[in-house]
Amino acid sequence: MSEAPASPNERRTFLGIILAAIGAFAAGAFGWSLFRFLSPVDRGGEDNQVRVTRDLVAIGGAHFFAFQGRPAVVLQPRAGEFVALSAVCTHLGCIVKWIDESQEFLCPCHAGRFAPSGQVLGGPPPRALDTYPVILDGDDILIG
Amino acid sequence: MNPAKEAIDWLDRRLGVRELMHKNLGGYLLPRNINIWYTLGAVLLAMFGLQFLTGTLLLVYYVPDTEKAFTSVTMIMNEIPYGWLIRYLHVVGSNLIIVFMLAHMLSVLFMGSYKRPRELTWISGFILFNLGLVFCLTGYLLPWSQLSFWATTVATDAAGAIPIIGDQLVAFMRGGPTVNEATLGRFFALHVMGLPLAFLALVGFHLFCVRRVGISKPPFGDDYRTTDMPLSFHHEEHHDGVPFHPNYTIKDTAMVFFALALLVAITFFAPGLFIPPDALEPADPFFTPPNIKPEWYFLWAYQALKIFPNELLGLASQGVAMGFLAMLPFFDRGLERRPAHRPLFVTLYLLGILVFVGLSLWGHYS
Ligand code: FES
Repeated sequence: MSEAPASPNERRTFLGIILAAIGAFAAGAFGWSLFRFLSPVDRGGEDNQVRVTRDLVAIGGAHFFAFQGRPAVVLQPRAGEFVALSAVCTHLGCIVKWIDESQEFLCPCHAGRFAPSGQVLGGPPPRALDTYPVILDGDDILIG
Repeated sequence: MNPAKEAIDWLDRRLGVRELMHKNLGGYLLPRNINIWYTLGAVLLAMFGLQFLTGTLLLVYYVPDTEKAFTSVTMIMNEIPYGWLIRYLHVVGSNLIIVFMLAHMLSVLFMGSYKRPRELTWISGFILFNLGLVFCLTGYLLPWSQLSFWATTVATDAAGAIPIIGDQLVAFMRGGPTVNEATLGRFFALHVMGLPLAFLALVGFHLFCVRRVGISKPPFGDDYRTTDMPLSFHHEEHHDGVPFHPNYTIKDTAMVFFALALLVAITFFAPGLFIPPDALEPADPFFTPPNIKPEWYFLWAYQALKIFPNELLGLASQGVAMGFLAMLPFFDRGLERRPAHRPLFVTLYLLGILVFVGLSLWGHYS
């Protein structure tokens, strides 16, 4: 079976389709690399525990530290009893302050108030602060 | 109802896009015997777009600080997913751009397209070429490796040969007596802000010239006619020509793809081609590595400086050569464009290429 040679127009269309296909593939591959390049880098430590020395946390005092890349706080409401909480306000994400005198958290943004247990005492926050498990290990506190 | 057609109709009623598209695409006629060398402009445009993209991405992680630059580049290469890809594309791309720029200029020279009335197109292109070299020079320093540091030291040192103001000029370029954090600061600012802006503006002007004057007809074939310099402005028309779109756009696209294929081939299979071992050591201002050499596209200049008995003479001769090239359309005023009818030009052309290649090889192996 003999076929007529393709006309310039047909050849151009064919080339166009090939180029579009290669282009789509290349754009996809590059787009994926781009997405990965710009995604947050996993530096490990996501599920790592954080170790805090007991001395840093006074009785009735608070110690702020970074947990899984976010601000957190550990309290010692009564001797030997430790509580670890997220320090991120559940309203709009400001970082709460520990007020020694009243023994509660105050959010500087819209005056949300939280108890040492994380419970909301007043103000706009919709729910309690997240809590983290705490284990005592000799002179250290293990959080997470 | 066709949404694409609707959208174009909408735009057309407001901006008259159909007429614009017709004038610049389907109704824009190119010479019938147009050849593959005319696609180099589109290839360069695409390559620059890619440099702009990869450069912006590198900025996300790069830190322009002498203490941190090298570590940040190492981190991009080793820790950030696909960081190696982005950086290699940027490095290899910059080298390929020089190659394509040279090819673009050589083909324009050979076909005599720089001649009047296209002097402005040539000069803007020539300045673009030089800006490209400055892009490379400034970008070279940014990783703050041994290679960056010493190649920049050697390159900026050359200006010291200029009498009277030489030393001051070197200090001014470096922002101090030696290459230091001030040099990194100014090279960084130039590389990511100053040069791109100047470059973009000039590319715009260059393209404007190309479009406004019209595409020159390749000086080959029996129907070649020497066109006289018109007395008033005249857009070169090609009434029996081929439409820019789709005939030439598809050729342009194919060539752009070839260039990109070359780029990724080098990136994947020979990524070290443009990254010598000294680039893998952080800069140490107290230790000069042996045999420091500039990049391949500066080797000719480097070797020329070495063979002249006196640095000033070497520098001056380079200046004269570059100046002559820039002003070529004003010296070469004949209207004949067929290479076969320009024996003197073609001889000089070939000699020029030989000298460039010879000096570069000599510089490489000496
Ligand atoms: S963010 Fe804390 S109260 Fe609004």
